[in-house]
Amino acid sequence: MKITIERAALLRSLSHIQNVVERRTTIPILSNVKLEARDENLALTATDLDLTLMANEKADVIDPGVTTVSAHTFFDIVRKFPGEAAITLEQAAGSTEMTVEAGRSVFHLPCLAADEFPAMSLEELDVRFEILPADLARLIDKTRFAISTEETRYYLNGIHMHAAGSGPTGTLRGVATDGHRLSRVEVPLPPGAENMPPIIVPRKTVGEIRKLIETAGDVPVQVAVSSARIQFGCGPDMLVSRLIDGTFPDYERVIPMSNERVASLPAKVFAEAVDRVATISTEKARAVKLAFDTGKITISAVSADAGRAVEELDAEYPDGALEIGFNARYILDMMSQIDGGEVRIEMANAAAPTVVRDPADSGALYVLMPMRV
Amino acid sequence: MSRIRRLDEGTINRIAAGEVIERPASVVKELVENAIDAGAGRIDVFIDDAGRRLIAVEDDGIGMSPEELPIAVLRHATSKLVDDDLVRITTLGFRGEALPSIGSIARLSLRSRPQGAAEGFELLVDGDEVGALRPTAMRPGSRVEVRDLFYRTPARLKFLRSDRAETQAIVEVLKRLALAHPDIAFRLVADDRQLLDYEARLAVDGGAQEDRVRAILGQAAFTNMLRVEAARAEVRLLAFAGLPTAARGDGRAQFFMVNRRPVQDRLLKSTLRAAYSDLLFHDRQPVAALFLDVEASALDVNVHPTKAEIRFRAPDDVRGLIIGSLKRALAEHGHRADTALGQDAARLFRPGGLGRGWRGPGPAGPGLMEAALAYQAPLPGTADSHVNGDLAEAGFAPGSAPRQETNPEGEDGARPGTASSADPWPLGAARAQLHENFIVAQTREGLIIVDQHAAHERIVYERLKAGLHAGGVARQALLLPEIVELEGGEQSVLIGRADELAELGLVLEGFGEGAVIVREVPAILGQSSVAALVRDLAHDLEEMGQAVRLKEAIDKVAGTMACHGSVRAGRRLTIEEMNALLRRMETTPFTGQCIHGRPTYISLGLAEIERLFGRRA
Repeated sequence: MKITIERAALLRSLSHIQNVVERRTTIPILSNVKLEARDENLALTATDLDLTLMANEKADVIDPGVTTVSAHTFFDIVRKFPGEAAITLEQAAGSTEMTVEAGRSVFHLPCLAADEFPAMSLEELDVRFEILPADLARLIDKTRFAISTEETRYYLNGIHMHAAGSGPTGTLRGVATDGHRLSRVEVPLPPGAENMPPIIVPRKTVGEIRKLIETAGDVPVQVAVSSARIQFGCGPDMLVSRLIDGTFPDYERVIPMSNERVASLPAKVFAEAVDRVATISTEKARAVKLAFDTGKITISAVSADAGRAVEELDAEYPDGALEIGFNARYILDMMSQIDGGEVRIEMANAAAPTVVRDPADSGALYVLMPMRV
Repeated sequence: MSRIRRLDEGTINRIAAGEVIERPASVVKELVENAIDAGAGRIDVFIDDAGRRLIAVEDDGIGMSPEELPIAVLRHATSKLVDDDLVRITTLGFRGEALPSIGSIARLSLRSRPQGAAEGFELLVDGDEVGALRPTAMRPGSRVEVRDLFYRTPARLKFLRSDRAETQAIVEVLKRLALAHPDIAFRLVADDRQLLDYEARLAVDGGAQEDRVRAILGQAAFTNMLRVEAARAEVRLLAFAGLPTAARGDGRAQFFMVNRRPVQDRLLKSTLRAAYSDLLFHDRQPVAALFLDVEASALDVNVHPTKAEIRFRAPDDVRGLIIGSLKRALAEHGHRADTALGQDAARLFRPGGLGRGWRGPGPAGPGLMEAALAYQAPLPGTADSHVNGDLAEAGFAPGSAPRQETNPEGEDGARPGTASSADPWPLGAARAQLHENFIVAQTREGLIIVDQHAAHERIVYERLKAGLHAGGVARQALLLPEIVELEGGEQSVLIGRADELAELGLVLEGFGEGAVIVREVPAILGQSSVAALVRDLAHDLEEMGQAVRLKEAIDKVAGTMACHGSVRAGRRLTIEEMNALLRRMETTPFTGQCIHGRPTYISLGLAEIERLFGRRA
């Protein structure tokens, strides 16, 4: 194999590839990236067995061939080459080394045979549709903060996606929860997605596809789904991932529909005030208390060590005094997803789920469980 | 095809022997218990070949009349159950199994002369054969000899361990019995060598008990113990609790006496462990002797053939009493560190040629590092190593309580827990900081060296913990309540303590058969696994009746925060800062150890320093 390729192109692919490759693995071949050169194209593939990414770059293929080298080492080398360098990759037939050459630098990297590399699953994915990168990004951004990291409830370790309704009013939903808070976001249902099975996309996959969209521009993302696997075609790159094999809880049940005490307040001012007051709650739980009363909200925190803090804000709130505690971090995570100038908080009492809405975005809804302080 | 038939008496006895008599030490236990129940003031035990060839127990108790002797070797014959009352058992034995069991597997000789009788009688039992009574000359009391143990059950003989191990087991059994009965003199002679000799103390009060504890555990261990007395309802506790820094790698130095009966009870062991929770490093075990007096009817000893296990009518009272009083005592003396640490350090300071400490020029501070290592090793001069050593090498010097001679302080008779209580500033005045981590302070009695990080860590931790538990634990309500499947009776145990758990931040309710639904969790635990926590808790509650794991989980977070929030090694402190730290250590509980159980300071007495320079012998 012998090719010449621009540094910028190779670096773009490798930066995605090296995210997929786990730093510590017991199977040596999984530390490697597979390089396949033919037809003026270099295909780079990496996998952690759950998630496989194949990136393609234009290259000057002098001698086609296929091999594998350590993904992290290769990435570090390419990263450190100067800006405009043209890089030559060469592996002589029968050699167990690949040379990486740019300018006057030469690196010899040990290779593992490409036929040891796990093959990408070629199973048929029956549901196919296209989704706008902006819509997919929105589904991810507004939900991923609520994904659970606790592994015994593995079915919460990802974003639940499913079709709700059909035709022009139908939506594609993304839902995530860690049992303490929940986020639900809707985008218009892409044609062809009506028959999609309900799925749970694992956190790592969510992160990788989000990064791919970033570099893909406006070109629609090609999605193919079965109940066990999802595939994203994003420009020249393709990501295939296993889905979480589990049932997402019936989340609709925990979203209250008739919380009658409603406060509206300026989003930015509220978030900043909570952040300020929470400075006092040094312990990990970060409890803050919100006291709603006619026309105002009082945010307070108390700590045995650090003292007390109180801040008062004007708010539109006509529904009688109510005191309710929350984890400040949860409030701040959620407030960072509110795009409009206002936030709407709908409460029942100090122990029941509280709904938070963004009046500027009717497709997003957040639920927060109070804390007893 | 064999038919069902009644077993003959000999077989029944051999089966019973299998339960009661496991090894020579079991024989010693049964016979010594008989002697104690016979009101002996002196008990001598002789063994040959680790008890294989001979076990003889001689006492000066009430003795048995010639009429009683043949009955004594019958199964279920006992003088100890008054009116056949199994509810109020005040004697050690009551089952009437020991002698016939032993008789069925060994050659047994029973000699006894009642107090006031003119002569004694002897009865020989060999397997199932009971011989004729013969008069014999002897002092008043009884002597039981067991020869050729297990000769009729060779399988058991094969399972015996080395002579050394079997002798050690006998020593342990006798120590435990002797600990419970300070009013009786005990002697153990093995192959003509005297291994144990404990003098009787007449008054059965705390003082006698204290002397016996010192004799058995050794002076070194004893000076590092706190004496604790407490009572609640029908339970009275006298405890000698070792300082956490004097803990050991195994639980052999833990003694539990209930109504003067040595027991090996899981409940008591786990309770002791709980009393020392967050004071000990990993799996280190405290040194302790606990004496419980419980109204006889509030106790069931008829649980186990060898009576090692017991049941309390009110286990919660017992647990509460032990944990509460020990924690309080340990907290009061929290800044006391083990004196042995200072002595270890002193040894290391010794000039070349004599000690193992000085290695010539080298990296700074080898002595302190080795002191830490020495701390991990078993304490020198303790009872166990003493006996082991004596078994290994010949030339044991007979005499009473030989451990006392090894006490370097020469403070025989010093009561524990009084060393520093009179000094208003026991940790003295800071003089210097060494290597940016060790504070050297001058105290009234010598000097101390403080590990600043370890000490500050404990102070921060105690403050965080107090804050956490005082303000009530903040609870995060769950949007998706978690259902946890449980085993057996765990559900009812959890539900029964739901109020208590709610105070610690865990709100749960029953959910169908054998499951609970968790609605709120302690907020500080963040996103840790609820199911695992609840299962551990249920187990804890069943085992020791306390929500240890929940408190531990919360305290562990506090511990991590404390570690990050405290003064690091390597920070230069001014004298004022150092003094402030010392004063805080004096007023904060448990500052003798850091939260990982390592010592926070060592003290070196002036006497020890003077000895180092040859100013004192």
